[in-house]
Amino acid sequence: MTQLLEVEGLVKHYQSGGFLSRPKPPVRAVDGVSFTVAPGETLGLVGESGSGKSTIGRNILRLEVPTAGTVRFEGVDLATVSPGELRALRRRMQIIFQDPFGSLNPRRSIGASVAEGLEIHQMLPKREVASRVSELLAEVGLDPAYASRYPHEFSGGQRQRIGIARALAVEPRFVVCDEPVSALDVSVQAQVINLLLDLRDRRGLAYLFIAHDLAVVRQIAHRVAVMYLGTIVELGAASTVIEAPRHPYTQALVSAVPDPDPRSARSRIVLAGEPPSPSAPPPGCPFEPRCFHPLRDARCRTERPVLRRVAEQDVACHYAEVIAAPPLVPTS
Amino acid sequence: MTRTPWGGAALAAALLALAVIGPWIAPDPLLMEAGTLLPPSSAHLLGTDQHSRDVFARLAHGARVSLTVAGVAVIIALVIGSTVGVIAGAGGSVLSASLRRITDLALALPRIVVLMVLLAALGTLPPLTFAMIIGVTGWPAIARLVRGETLRLRQAEYVIAARALGAPPPRVLWREILPGALAPAIIAATLGVADAILLEAGLSFLGLGIMAPAPSWGGMILESRDYLHAAPWLLLVPVAALVAATSSATLLGEALRRFLQPDTQ
Repeated sequence: MTQLLEVEGLVKHYQSGGFLSRPKPPVRAVDGVSFTVAPGETLGLVGESGSGKSTIGRNILRLEVPTAGTVRFEGVDLATVSPGELRALRRRMQIIFQDPFGSLNPRRSIGASVAEGLEIHQMLPKREVASRVSELLAEVGLDPAYASRYPHEFSGGQRQRIGIARALAVEPRFVVCDEPVSALDVSVQAQVINLLLDLRDRRGLAYLFIAHDLAVVRQIAHRVAVMYLGTIVELGAASTVIEAPRHPYTQALVSAVPDPDPRSARSRIVLAGEPPSPSAPPPGCPFEPRCFHPLRDARCRTERPVLRRVAEQDVACHYAEVIAAPPLVPTS
Repeated sequence: MTRTPWGGAALAAALLALAVIGPWIAPDPLLMEAGTLLPPSSAHLLGTDQHSRDVFARLAHGARVSLTVAGVAVIIALVIGSTVGVIAGAGGSVLSASLRRITDLALALPRIVVLMVLLAALGTLPPLTFAMIIGVTGWPAIARLVRGETLRLRQAEYVIAARALGAPPPRVLWREILPGALAPAIIAATLGVADAILLEAGLSFLGLGIMAPAPSWGGMILESRDYLHAAPWLLLVPVAALVAATSSATLLGEALRRFLQPDTQ
């Protein structure tokens, strides 16, 4: 077994309506997604709001039950384990949330929140819990004396560190980082990213790092998966995907990353329109309605491209071979 | 609306003092020896009624009955309502689905009608049993509130975080969800004290609650009807007490809301 996490054909549909009302078509939040994460590896998952990134994170950890597909963690199919075994497995896979204000119970001291995992899994004798909580707070760069304080006394960046300490308490091997810095100021973002990098090196953690900002992902991910409307449209080494993207959507995302060099004459691709509704995705390529590429044709409208190896990455575009990077034709 | 709890607290303290200390210093509320319908005087602070009983004594003893009935009723409603609401909101089981239906059904029945039917069927009851019956009919509103709050908190990231840490469902419910869901229930219950006091008075007024000659505020209002012109204090005294009690419960409830849910304003 070389992979820590293997996701195959993951599907999550949300059904609404039903009783007394006509059932509506399901919302296809995640529509057949496959990827792997190796021990110690960071896979970046990028895409805009509503592309299904966070849903993937929660379904992998089985905080929601997937509609279809398999998730194997350390070789074990999570759909086949009992609820008790799943709770035991949770020690090794954790999650860090986006909202630093909603992810901590406002009625419990942060020490109690950080100790939660230690108590659930009875990892330490009771009298050693407090000193372990102090160590964990120190490890994420907080004063251990804060343990008795409540979440409202902390800033967003500090709360995010508390959330990280809570997740690390159970000594996981794999952590889903669900947009951990999206709600923070840019200066605080860098501090939290550095903390995550530091912890990865020290503890050998693997991350699924979810973000909507390629600039953030570039700092931490080994590989990057780009999502659009519930599917992965491009997957490959971070440097390849960001420097030589082959899917038009990835090209648009890359062109939106601020470039520190004022002399570079890079044109920014501005996508027209909104992503289609995930309850009525286009029959062909999900990106076709907004695609700016001159090669786009009838095939794109009728046939859904599958993710396939092109050059050094996997791309879901019929014309990936002939699309050169960087993008040639910015939209007007 | 006032910003401090002191008005409500002072009023509540005065009423509690009336209920606790009043009966010790007041004469026997059943004693009939002074003249009938005497106006307030130094001998009888609030006058006497048609049976020449001391009105202050009846008010103080009535306060004890009214406030005890209201307090017991509200605590019973809070305990039943919170338990039912949290289980109904936790979802997933047949039990929670049926509790939700039962709550909806109970909410559809008008409380006052249910109480009148029950009391008419059961006849005269001791005050504590009477309080329990008011409480048992008061839980559905609290259950609905707690259920809604439970549903909302189930989606909170800190609750998902607890599940992600491997907390078994009862622990999630008890430690993460219940404390948050209880805050609005406690506020509603405090406000519900006013309802319970009015129900007790209303039912006693209708002759279904505390039975004469035992003193109760509702009963005092009932008996004052025939002497409105001759002795208006017979009506005004219990009505003023009723207004004071419901106002203090409402003021305290509002203060509690500001304290427990400072973010909802």
